[in-house]
Amino acid sequence: MVSVNNSSNNLGDTLGILLLRLWLGVRAIQTGIEKFAGTRYTEQAVNIDGTANTYGLTEAVAGKTYAFGNYKGIPESLATKFSQEPLIPSWFITIYDWAIGPLLLITGLFVLLGLALRYSLFTMGLIYTSLTFGLILIKQDAGIAWLGLHVLLVVAALKLANHNRFTFTKNY
Amino acid sequence: MKLTNPQLTRRSFLAKSGLGAGLIMGSSAILSAENNPGSSSDIRVGFIGCGKQHEVLFNAMVNIPGIRYVAACDIMKARVGRTFSTIKSRFGYNIKRYLNAEDMLEKESLDAVFISTPDFWHAPHSVMAMDAGCAVYCEKMMSNTLEGARSIVAAMDRTGQLCQIGHQRRSNPRYRYVLEQLIQKEQLLGQLVNINSQWNRALSSSQDIVSKPSILPDAQTLRAAGFDTGAKKELSLESLRHRFLNWRFYKNLSGGPISDLGAHQIDIFNWFLGIQPTTLVASGGRSYFKDREHFDNVMCLFDYETAQGNVRAFYQVLTTTSSGGGYYESFMGTNGTLMMSEREAYTKIYKESGADNAAQWSACVQRGLLKKTGAGIAAGGSDAIASYESAPPDEYALPGGMSKAPHQPHIENFFDAMRGTAKLTCDARHALESEAPIYWVNQAAETKQTIHFTNEHLHT
Repeated sequence: MVSVNNSSNNLGDTLGILLLRLWLGVRAIQTGIEKFAGTRYTEQAVNIDGTANTYGLTEAVAGKTYAFGNYKGIPESLATKFSQEPLIPSWFITIYDWAIGPLLLITGLFVLLGLALRYSLFTMGLIYTSLTFGLILIKQDAGIAWLGLHVLLVVAALKLANHNRFTFTKNY
Repeated sequence: MKLTNPQLTRRSFLAKSGLGAGLIMGSSAILSAENNPGSSSDIRVGFIGCGKQHEVLFNAMVNIPGIRYVAACDIMKARVGRTFSTIKSRFGYNIKRYLNAEDMLEKESLDAVFISTPDFWHAPHSVMAMDAGCAVYCEKMMSNTLEGARSIVAAMDRTGQLCQIGHQRRSNPRYRYVLEQLIQKEQLLGQLVNINSQWNRALSSSQDIVSKPSILPDAQTLRAAGFDTGAKKELSLESLRHRFLNWRFYKNLSGGPISDLGAHQIDIFNWFLGIQPTTLVASGGRSYFKDREHFDNVMCLFDYETAQGNVRAFYQVLTTTSSGGGYYESFMGTNGTLMMSEREAYTKIYKESGADNAAQWSACVQRGLLKKTGAGIAAGGSDAIASYESAPPDEYALPGGMSKAPHQPHIENFFDAMRGTAKLTCDARHALESEAPIYWVNQAAETKQTIHFTNEHLHT
């Protein structure tokens, strides 16, 4: 790890950019990982009077699993709505569905590690903007506001990028 | 595993039996043969009848260990071929294929035979298989006639073979649980006064079955297999094939909808109450399918005299309407109602608002015997007249379900009984005790007369 020469000596700004990198990085990485999440149901014997029943009555217990096979970039419910939007061609939905998970993981990792920080933050902002575009089309105002906050945090991180001190590469 | 019959060998039965030529179904050709004996402890299984119900049974048994599939028989070559291919692709070995049940029983060394032929063949095939030294799992109804059903019980007694009848709900853990725990032990429903049950099937599911003519048996085969039974004149190939595919519509081949669908559920009345009914009234009609021999809708009412008092049980089978909740058996007591169905989605339990055992219901929930799913909500609305209304019952559910195919526990019970680790849940005698009243429903509906059951009607 190298110390960047042109960073400010302002401790608050330095900790601020570090915190934003952590928040934005974790937010994007975990969102990307969740695209691979699924539910697995296992049958479990029902307890009666504190012990497993002898009749063979079972109940399904849901458990969360992660697997490549579970991957779904755009949730089913949203994909259906997008497919009815004339401004989004179907081929674009297919590509976007395929790309969004890996993009979130890669940009999140770059921001977290401070790799090419300004470009990584800018890319992340573009991703959130693209998501906002989709939500505008299907009129999900709460989601738009929520993504707007993300973009504001990205902008704040870009403003504080000069104070970024903990990074593996030169500050791009 | 080989369970032998000390009294009679297959060959001697076939040599001596009067059933002889009458039971021959089609040609006697063996279509293929490959010796692949499997483990010596495996139960060696053969199938008689490879149609739709056979597929249901087979799909329910594929996950049961310790079975060796040996042979299958059907007068329709394509069906036997399908069974052969299914077993080959799933288990990697060949079975032998037969067009003739007698041939199969004579030439193969089988421990158990599954019979899923048309109803009018159940009794001859079951008797033949038991006399040949095999345990039998036979689909319900036991026969299209009471005499046929009684002949199965007689064969079971005579041969000492196991004979399980396919009333699969008798082994269903959900049914066994509600009977033994909720009704008998906890007596949660209070005094049982009424039973209301139905199987409503849509018109679209009640149409004639059709098939590609090129794969159907020829006229000679169908006549030899008795599909012209009861016909007043010589039947054309088309008529014979219609009877072959739609045997459920013909009086000499089946018992009609009350037997096909109703038997499963009326069996539950008799099983849960532990007694046979005293009287029967019924009505039915060819209200839509006017050219079918059997009624397309039947409604009937059985009276039972239980230790708690009189129970009146209504049953309807409709083949023209599916709405109204599908199929269920609703046991209605003074403190609650159990709406039971083989389908978990149709199963519901209700506690009467004024139940005098409300604390017991709460205790059952605490112990895990029940789940409370909702408090009773009045329908409300300006048209409600308070003095007409009863407070709505609270809704409950069973604590769990069954994670197997509906027929699997019944087949498992059959194999367990063969291995000596269980008792059959529905042997032929108990099945007949339950089925006997059902054989009288069509007659009651035809004559519009109340039947007062006697030993003559119901004996096994």
